Amino acid sequence: MNADVIIVGGGIIGCAAAYNLAKDGVSVIVLEGSANIGNGGSVRNGGGVRQSGRDPRELPLIMYAIKNIWPNLSDLLDTNVEYHQQGNLRLGHSEKNKQILEGLTERAVKCDLDVRMITGDEAREINPYLSDAVTCASWCPTDGHANPLTATMGYYKAARRLGAHFISDEKIVELRKIKGRVCQAVSASGNIYEGSKIILAAGYESRYIASTVGVDIPMQPVLLETLVTEAVSPMFWQMLGTADADFYGHQTDHGSFVFGLNCGLEPYAKPGKPVSSSIASSAACRGIMRYFPSLEDIKVIRCWAGWMDSCADHVPVISPVEEAKGLILACGFSGHGFGISPAVGLVLSQMAQDKETVLDMHELRYDRFRP
Amino acid sequence: MNDRSRELKPFVPAPDDDMIICRCEEITKGEIRKAVHDGMFTLTEIRRYLRTGMGLCQGQTCTKLVKGIVARELGVKPSELGSATGRAPMRPIEMKILANDGGGKK
Amino acid sequence: MKCYELIVIGAGPAGLSAAIEAAKRGMSVVVYDENSKPGGQLFKQIHKFFGSKEHHAKVRGFRIGEELLEEASKQCVKVVLNATVIGIFPEKEVTVKIEDHVEHVKGDTILIATGASENMVTFPGWTLPGVIGAGAAQTMMNLHGILPGERVLMLGTGNVGLVVSFQLLQAGCEVVALADAAPRVGGYGVHAAKVARCGVPFYLSHTIISAEGNDHVTGVTIGEVDSNWQIIPNSEKHFDVDTICLAVGLSPMSKLCDMAGCEMEDSPAKAGFVPKVNEYGETSVSGIYAAGDVSGIEEASSAMIEGRIAGIAAAAKLGYITEEEGKKQITEQEEALNGLRQGMFAPGMRGQKITTTEEGIAISENLLSHGYVSDEEIDRFPGVTHKSGIHPVIECTQNIPCNPCQDACKMHCIKVGEHITSLPQVDPVGKCTGCGMCVASCSGQAIFLLNEDCGDGTAEITMPYEFLPLPEIGDKGTAWSRKGEPVCKAEVVSVKSIKAYDKTNLLTIKVPKEFAMKARFFRKEVLV
Repeated sequence: MNADVIIVGGGIIGCAAAYNLAKDGVSVIVLEGSANIGNGGSVRNGGGVRQSGRDPRELPLIMYAIKNIWPNLSDLLDTNVEYHQQGNLRLGHSEKNKQILEGLTERAVKCDLDVRMITGDEAREINPYLSDAVTCASWCPTDGHANPLTATMGYYKAARRLGAHFISDEKIVELRKIKGRVCQAVSASGNIYEGSKIILAAGYESRYIASTVGVDIPMQPVLLETLVTEAVSPMFWQMLGTADADFYGHQTDHGSFVFGLNCGLEPYAKPGKPVSSSIASSAACRGIMRYFPSLEDIKVIRCWAGWMDSCADHVPVISPVEEAKGLILACGFSGHGFGISPAVGLVLSQMAQDKETVLDMHELRYDRFRP
Repeated sequence: MNDRSRELKPFVPAPDDDMIICRCEEITKGEIRKAVHDGMFTLTEIRRYLRTGMGLCQGQTCTKLVKGIVARELGVKPSELGSATGRAPMRPIEMKILANDGGGKK
Repeated sequence: MKCYELIVIGAGPAGLSAAIEAAKRGMSVVVYDENSKPGGQLFKQIHKFFGSKEHHAKVRGFRIGEELLEEASKQCVKVVLNATVIGIFPEKEVTVKIEDHVEHVKGDTILIATGASENMVTFPGWTLPGVIGAGAAQTMMNLHGILPGERVLMLGTGNVGLVVSFQLLQAGCEVVALADAAPRVGGYGVHAAKVARCGVPFYLSHTIISAEGNDHVTGVTIGEVDSNWQIIPNSEKHFDVDTICLAVGLSPMSKLCDMAGCEMEDSPAKAGFVPKVNEYGETSVSGIYAAGDVSGIEEASSAMIEGRIAGIAAAAKLGYITEEEGKKQITEQEEALNGLRQGMFAPGMRGQKITTTEEGIAISENLLSHGYVSDEEIDRFPGVTHKSGIHPVIECTQNIPCNPCQDACKMHCIKVGEHITSLPQVDPVGKCTGCGMCVASCSGQAIFLLNEDCGDGTAEITMPYEFLPLPEIGDKGTAWSRKGEPVCKAEVVSVKSIKAYDKTNLLTIKVPKEFAMKARFFRKEVLV
């Protein structure tokens, strides 16, 4: 099968790129390796749409997305992506935490971001459910959150309506160079998809696929876990994080809380199917209750685990490849791809059309790892 | 099922479209049928898009019903649709109880 | 971390049976159940079970539960109640919610025996309070002593629908009708017959069009469906009811298996999403077993055997018996299991249309379409014979694996024979003493003792009777037909309830002799 652009990976990055390309009238085939669209980290994340705490190299992407895309995304996709811009609180409970937060804040301010340190009492004014354990916080009022599930499925739905062709259960195992250009993607079942550009957005598996045309990106799968609670009446709309990074999350429109977990053992998870650990959700509950004692009676109803594509320097590769012409990489998002995905989708569509990108993507080139 | 551009019969509103199928999340038959026409072809995708089976009962009541509706809309057998993944906790559990697992005492 | 050699999840028939077998062979076993009472569905089952002696035939379900519990405690099985397993993790780690905390435990082997949940069907009004699962109604009545309602419509004529309808009648509810979208009764004919003769009409090829009511069910409308399941115009029937029971099948509760990483399959024959298991009940994950409804919907007797097989297999895996011993013991159990999986209702027969019995007798079409054997059909079955003096009449017309009647008769008047599914035959020259043991032994309540001509123009009919209050000798009332219609006046001449009958009372009524083969139930109200 042929199309102008072949996208390998039906996560939010692939879907957003497909949407932007289809909107420009470019023909697109999206190939998803699993049975379900949005199967990786796209639907297994805390839903953060935040600038604070980000590496300066990816800040332009998130700032662009927050300014230009997220506010209208629900209308654009005809899907409620539940975007809320009510700020991000990163909480601390010790002097050591304070130092971490101050460091993050200092770096963000240098990038012209409106972030500041606040006291525990100021934090409690913003969010009255916080416990006295909170002694300091960083506060970024322009941050927010959205629903990763509906945002991902919304991009898929809108791209499909615009004519993008999606095929699931079609695992790409090989890319091929033909006459000096990467223009073929071969599936495990032997099907060949051909296009003048190939966008590789297949999460951590991108590494194995890219290597078939001699390209390597230093990244590895790291487990991410999320828990979801039952729905309760609305309490607060801020995005939350901690200096300890033991959990992060928010309350959704629906009333449930979505929290990302971190118990420290994630980088050592066994390879294969991602499985929840037996201890991470309990540890996360302790962390959450320490800051939000009033959540203690809320019921946890689901836990998820998934692989993120953790890059050597924790920012993604979004870049055409010179020695593999036709190939555009979009991988290594390192667990913070969701918030920037609308901007990444736009930039990828521009790269695939050989247009000038709306942002300078130089810092996220594929060859930046050379010492 | 894996070709997401396959032709479906056109969406025709039905008199029972407002009937609730997923009781926990209050999702109607019409919403599920529309979701299929919007490309949500698997139970997992329907779940991500609409939240069916993500409530307190974890889909114990509605999974089979949703499956039947999606299968009919797609013109396939329900058994071809597979199932949504089983995940812990198997029953809803209060945070304070889940937290009380003997850990965190260092 | 606490470690057991076998962790059993679910204290139902499969789980307890496995625990007993494993503990008997020396293993340390814990059984977790999320309910406050053990036994799974067994303690709701107040009716007598079918089968052979080895399968606890003619024992009431809750007694089987009690026996299993007693045996489990004798074997030092630890049964933990109100203990909800919330997850199975790699390396066979199980997390259990007990009271206010979560425990982590390890098992060398794990048996998942979590049973099934009830299916629902949708119709306008299906979310109204008053629409409940038949199993839920049974729980309310038989575990909690609460009537689910006063006037009930039952949807579904499988065994659950039939058994629960009868129990609703026993509890004092009025069952206004049994409906089923299928054209034929799905459950045992004997279960249908005992409901039908109480006067409950059967509506086959009917489904619920809507439930009425604002904040609870006040009525229901059913309608006839054509072969494409579409409602035939003007076929609607309305009933004033406060309860609609749905007995439309069960689905395996197999999510734990999925979470544990077991390979799963969607199997219509097993009624849903089930783990793939080998002949020992072992899933694709070595050391994790599944038994009972979770691995395919059947009934309690086969669940118990599947449980035993898994328990024996686990013992062999951990070296408590040799592989050879294990294989031999499992083969014995498999033979018992095969004994159960026979006859017209065997798992492999699902969906097949049966026209004759194994003996070559045309089946009762009326039983399948209306719930009772018609007067014209009844004489063709080998349990129905006529002679002078007292003799049994066995209205058993389908091949099901069950034979307690054969052993019940000390005079050897009743023969099922080697093949457990054969229809019972009555020896035409047998010397029936009228002891009534056969009547009480029949789990289907299908055996009657008849004296067709008492010499004074009357006949006497002895029937199984499980309703309270018991009629008394001298009570005058009405005899009802198989069809559930009053046919003639009747007088109670004997009421027997001895211990050996196990709560199946034997009621003898006197009727005009021309009604000897018609009268099959008694009500005190004089209606004719």
